[in-house]
Amino acid sequence: MTKLLETPMSRRNVLQAATAGALTIAPALRAAVYAQGSDKPEKEEVRIGFIPLTDCASVVMASVLGIDKKYGVKIIPSKESSWAGVRDKLVNGELDFAHALYGLIYGVHMGTAGPKKDMAVLMNLNQNGQAITLSKKLADKGAVDAASLAKLMATDKREYTFAQTFPTGTHAMWLYYWLASVGVNPLKDAKVITVPPPQMVANMRVGNMDGYCVGEPWGHRAIADGIGITAATTQDIWRDHPEKVLGTTGDFVKKYPNTARAVTAAILEAGKWIDAGLQNKMKMAETIADKSYVNTSVDVINQRILGRYQNGLGKTWDDPNHMKFFNDGTANFPYLSDGMWFLTQHKRWGLLKDHPDYLKVAKEINQIDIFKQAAAASNTPVPKSAMRSSKLMDGVVWDGSDPKKYADSFKVHA
Amino acid sequence: MKSKSQKNKKHEALKIVVVAPDLDVQDMGDDHAVSQAKRSRALRIGLLESGFNLIATLPADVFLSDRIHQLQPDLIIVDAESEARDALEHVVFATRDERRPIVLFTDDNDTTHVRDAVAVGVSAYIVDGLSSTRIRPILDVAMARFEYEERLRDERDDARHALQERTVVDRAKALLMERQGLSEKDAFTKLRKIAMDKGLKMAEVAQRTLDMADLLS
Repeated sequence: MTKLLETPMSRRNVLQAATAGALTIAPALRAAVYAQGSDKPEKEEVRIGFIPLTDCASVVMASVLGIDKKYGVKIIPSKESSWAGVRDKLVNGELDFAHALYGLIYGVHMGTAGPKKDMAVLMNLNQNGQAITLSKKLADKGAVDAASLAKLMATDKREYTFAQTFPTGTHAMWLYYWLASVGVNPLKDAKVITVPPPQMVANMRVGNMDGYCVGEPWGHRAIADGIGITAATTQDIWRDHPEKVLGTTGDFVKKYPNTARAVTAAILEAGKWIDAGLQNKMKMAETIADKSYVNTSVDVINQRILGRYQNGLGKTWDDPNHMKFFNDGTANFPYLSDGMWFLTQHKRWGLLKDHPDYLKVAKEINQIDIFKQAAAASNTPVPKSAMRSSKLMDGVVWDGSDPKKYADSFKVHA
Repeated sequence: MKSKSQKNKKHEALKIVVVAPDLDVQDMGDDHAVSQAKRSRALRIGLLESGFNLIATLPADVFLSDRIHQLQPDLIIVDAESEARDALEHVVFATRDERRPIVLFTDDNDTTHVRDAVAVGVSAYIVDGLSSTRIRPILDVAMARFEYEERLRDERDDARHALQERTVVDRAKALLMERQGLSEKDAFTKLRKIAMDKGLKMAEVAQRTLDMADLLS
């Protein structure tokens, strides 16, 4: 077993990481890192829940390739049937960690997504790679993107149904943002339902919904089956947006900091392995296509992870902003501004009744210090600031500087 | 304290909805689907044998929340490993103000989690298999737990409400004391008399007094 942070080299990295950023590791904590004498994971076998989606790949590969052992832990991936199940099992300790929706972890911490419990985000698992699919029927009537959909909804009046995956989750937020960008209020002008990812395609086939937002491979699958078209990718909505996170409870991090760090480091390295090249991606696709993971054909997974996109209407393109698991380390840093963004949207859509203390909450949940240590252990570059600036599809810039003003700035809201 | 027979009668009248997976499993090689179907069948037989009022068995499809909204069941029972849980989550979310218990069944034997797993509108349940003799106590416990939680919630709401009412009455008293030079006792008596004459609550009269003062000031 390689002991984390044992070599002088990696210690230097930790110090560099700690001093380079706008945030520095508190001296007390830094002392704690070294004072233990051993950073052996307190809990060596961990269960990590996942939902059958392409973006569970780094969790699965860390286990399949044995990268976990290198860091002194054994990851047992546990396939789950619902996000609600993932949440309950995280909260009651049946699962130690989970591949989770960013907004689910924030929702539990705030008490908007079930029981209120202090939660933790250890790292982003991926950026990009979700999509909004519209049914073939809608496309035949001219609705192929947000603007033409809004036009159709205004002229051909009826109840339009759109599906997402969890009330406070990422897909609900992407879908709402996208609809609202063309003046459609998702809570008033449409019917929004919650559907498990693997059931999206079947439901669209029988005409139960007009559109859905979900993670791959279920966007591409609609095209492969000829039942829907890709109206927008989520990277069109926000290039390099945060998506799934490695989530756990606040208590777990307090009790098992070494385990949290080791698991984060192992998954960082697995993400680096996936993003390293074509062959690794093909191998990943073959691995996760298996029945024990995503349970679909390899070719449904492997197109979009390579950035080979088609929209189902004859257009094909190479998307440089496809799903990234590492992206030279930029995909994984748990930016405070990313976490705050979900809070602003939860406020916007009435999931939160009042403005929270945005920065305080993000600092409570996102474990920047542990991430930096795990990054040092796995040779992952760390950005200088815990905030980043992003320009979303409507040209509005979000940099975390005035969350209250940003949350109140949207014309279309609950 | 209710007698046992009364309590059971109450349960007999419960409107129960079971959310069940499709009973004809498409792919017999899919162990997960097969075991879910098996559990679901056992559960429904057990409920019927125990004399419960099963008003519907709903498929876990996109119409779930609409149907639950129409049926207004007292209790929703679902397999904890069901994919339908997220659709139910939507129901729980949409009906935050009209809570109802949802019982989850799993094969897990470890009951220590029960206490921790109680979510908003969900009474989580852990049982080993589903013999019909075990279902009634489970429902009893689930309902008892739910009622207990509701009571706590009501008490909290009542306390909050009482505080609000007291504040309104205090403000109205202060207004009368200031405008009409009354003592505190006389101001209170005056408010109470109006309330009794008009058959209103003190707090209502107090609120009206304050509203009137706003209008006339």
